[in-house]
Amino acid sequence: MRRYIDFYITSMKMAVIEQWQYPVANYFYMIGMIAEPVIYMVVWSAVATQQGGEVGGYTPGAFAAYYIVWTLVRSMNVVFTPYGWEWRIRQGQLSMSLMRPIHPLHNDVAFFAGWKVVVITLWIPLALALSLFFKPDLHPTLLDGIVFFFAIWFAYLIRTMTLSLLGMVTFWTTRVSALFELYFAAELVLSGRLVPLSLMPEWVQRLAWFFPFRWAFGYPIEALIGNMPVRDLLIGLGMQVAWIIFGAAAVSLVWKVAIRRFSAVGG
Amino acid sequence: MTSVISISNLAKHYQVPEREAGLAAAAKGLFKRTYKTVKAVDGISFEIQPGEVVGFLGPNGAGKTTTLKMLSGLLHPTEGELSVLGYQPAKRNHDYLRRITLVMGNRNQLSWDLPALDSFDLQRAIYGIPMDEFKRTRDEFIELLDLKDLVQKPVRNLSLGERMKMEIVGALLHKPKILFLDEPTLGLDVTMQKRIRSFIAEYNKRYDATVLLTSHYMADVEALCKRVIVIHHGQLLFDGNLSSLKEKFSAFKTISFDIDNPTQDFSQFGDVIAMDGLHVTLRVPKEKTSAVTTQLLSQLAVDDLTVESTPIEDVIESVFSVKKEAME
Amino acid sequence: MTGIKLAFNYLRIGIMNEFQYRANLYIQILQTFIALGTGLIGLNLVFAQTSQLGGWGKADLLAVMGVFTMTGGFIRAAIQPNMERLMEEIREGTLDYALTKPADSQLLVSVREFRLWQLVDVLTGAIVVIIALVQLNWLMDIWSVLGFFSALVMGGLMVYCFWLIITSTAFWFVRVHEIANLFEGLYAAGRWPVDIYPNWLRYGLTFLVPVAFAVTVPASAITGRLTFETWLGALALTVTLFIIARTIWLIGVKNYSGASA
Repeated sequence: MRRYIDFYITSMKMAVIEQWQYPVANYFYMIGMIAEPVIYMVVWSAVATQQGGEVGGYTPGAFAAYYIVWTLVRSMNVVFTPYGWEWRIRQGQLSMSLMRPIHPLHNDVAFFAGWKVVVITLWIPLALALSLFFKPDLHPTLLDGIVFFFAIWFAYLIRTMTLSLLGMVTFWTTRVSALFELYFAAELVLSGRLVPLSLMPEWVQRLAWFFPFRWAFGYPIEALIGNMPVRDLLIGLGMQVAWIIFGAAAVSLVWKVAIRRFSAVGG
Repeated sequence: MTSVISISNLAKHYQVPEREAGLAAAAKGLFKRTYKTVKAVDGISFEIQPGEVVGFLGPNGAGKTTTLKMLSGLLHPTEGELSVLGYQPAKRNHDYLRRITLVMGNRNQLSWDLPALDSFDLQRAIYGIPMDEFKRTRDEFIELLDLKDLVQKPVRNLSLGERMKMEIVGALLHKPKILFLDEPTLGLDVTMQKRIRSFIAEYNKRYDATVLLTSHYMADVEALCKRVIVIHHGQLLFDGNLSSLKEKFSAFKTISFDIDNPTQDFSQFGDVIAMDGLHVTLRVPKEKTSAVTTQLLSQLAVDDLTVESTPIEDVIESVFSVKKEAME
Repeated sequence: MTGIKLAFNYLRIGIMNEFQYRANLYIQILQTFIALGTGLIGLNLVFAQTSQLGGWGKADLLAVMGVFTMTGGFIRAAIQPNMERLMEEIREGTLDYALTKPADSQLLVSVREFRLWQLVDVLTGAIVVIIALVQLNWLMDIWSVLGFFSALVMGGLMVYCFWLIITSTAFWFVRVHEIANLFEGLYAAGRWPVDIYPNWLRYGLTFLVPVAFAVTVPASAITGRLTFETWLGALALTVTLFIIARTIWLIGVKNYSGASA
């Protein structure tokens, strides 16, 4: 256990130093990403204004809050891309990490977690700038804040698990882009990334409950902005933990099978 | 002494889809694929004793890398027994991984944007090396490879050779007992090759480590390895001393000399390999060497006559061609 | 005229290349439909709550989406790949091969790549526009049609000039790779008519990144919203942008040749 803590701290520290060398590149990346929520925000604010100041419980200020927090959650959702797995296998990166006496997925989790520390730091001025323009209506309680803190890290872990599972499909076939595209489309609609889920038809909301997407995206945002009752806050954290455990179990099972295949057909 | 690496009848076969040219064949292939078996390694056996440095030779595609990958646990053997330090590599037991290392000349492990020191620290955390021991080993290696001024620089700013030295330090920080080195000097200049070679020799001596090394550069093998194992088409061709390999397979010697009159025909003495102005190089069967030398000296006015054994590269080449003919 | 001949040759080679990778066609079709599907979902969600947005009805916005898809397909087929290749070559210092060819350098670097399968987007977008027009009970009107096509051409040219200007800065600032990412993000704003954005953003999307001219203006033309003044403005901006892009390109090339000689 102590060895793992040591590994995580060392690895995260490295990621922080590494990424801190490129604040401009990181900012460009984040600014490119910000166009998407700004568009949603503007469209929905216009709709709300036209409908007399509110739509589906959201005022323009609430939309602003939703989509500004969205940018942080989206950043927390960035993990090793499933498209990268083919490269990783072909370039022999995977072979090299298999030679280490530690499960290679720890590398991913630790490295991106370190990167997130940089991302969160860089996000703060960006969020302040966006707030000046869009005037969010945001009044979280202390409890909301605490739950949010855990929720974004849990969201990060959920998405690490699901995208690792998706990426591992590459062990069996390299024609994966169709599958990935479908996955991302489903995620866009069912996560709360496109619009807050409460604007979706009833049946979509019910459907979304059973997928990991909303627990990795919509839930953390709503936890901070939505005046959620304590019970719902806790249910959300519970669902997140459940998905992490389930995801980790699935990853380690699939990993075993995948590596068996990998070492049978060539590294 | 008990051997640290023991391999018997090791084989690795792959099923690869067979592709025929042409559209019709390709269309047929959509429904029913035919496979053929490629025998990358086909029944090799050898034992390696602790502390040995063994050169592992063979042309491209002979099965060297496949064997190294089986030894390091990345590939499962199709057949045969494989035991390293008493472990079955394919299980990739963490205790086993802590005792070995695999260095591939064309792969890198170090973080590109950070000084190597940071990557070394990560290695420490991964292998759980106690801090004081880690520092001692690290400084010792840095000293040996003369890297003091470079460890603070981001790896991306280092030359290829400097980067390779760093890679090797990183790969040995946990002081593995067994080193699998796949082309560790690939693409490096001669001085850098020498440096790495002498470091490997030193490491082997200090830590009594066992080394299995493949290299395209025979100088690596000649400098480091007393023993060589040669494989070809996945099969073992030779296992023994480097000198006896030369003895066994080098059937020829080269004789070179200067001459006054270059119009003469020398083919009666042996194969003319080169004739450069007044300088002539001949290749003659080993047993005829002395006879030909005497003839040349007595019949013609030759100067500066030298007799050399065939370079090791040519020996290896003839090993492969001889055996190939024998097998076909 | 050798330049145009050259362009056609590159186009031909590009198309032949693409035919080698037919699997990409299916991936492209899938991607187009996914993008269209999520776009429609967004549109329906908005119009489930309201009947009009900034003076545009649902069918009008469908037309906007069609134009957005068409123009986007064209950008990814003909503009972006050329500019990305150019960026790469400036960075690696291998642009000399292109500069030594006996043709206008700007023309040459702008026609070397062509992604045929991206035309699936252009086709799909056109179909969406037609569906929208049917929903609008559109009556054929020669001026809207002319306005539409001329606005499309001008919009395409403006986006091309924008890309060339940004790419040319690679002569001075080597790290412009994130630009593609940035443009994609901003271009997505074109999915909606720029009228709905706050002023500062609308001006940005009009003059800094010509998304308004590439999407909103052609869509305005076909839905009968385009004024002659706007059309003239578009023409003037196209010419201006082209001159700026050409100038920056020529200075950049001179600079490049000077540095590498």
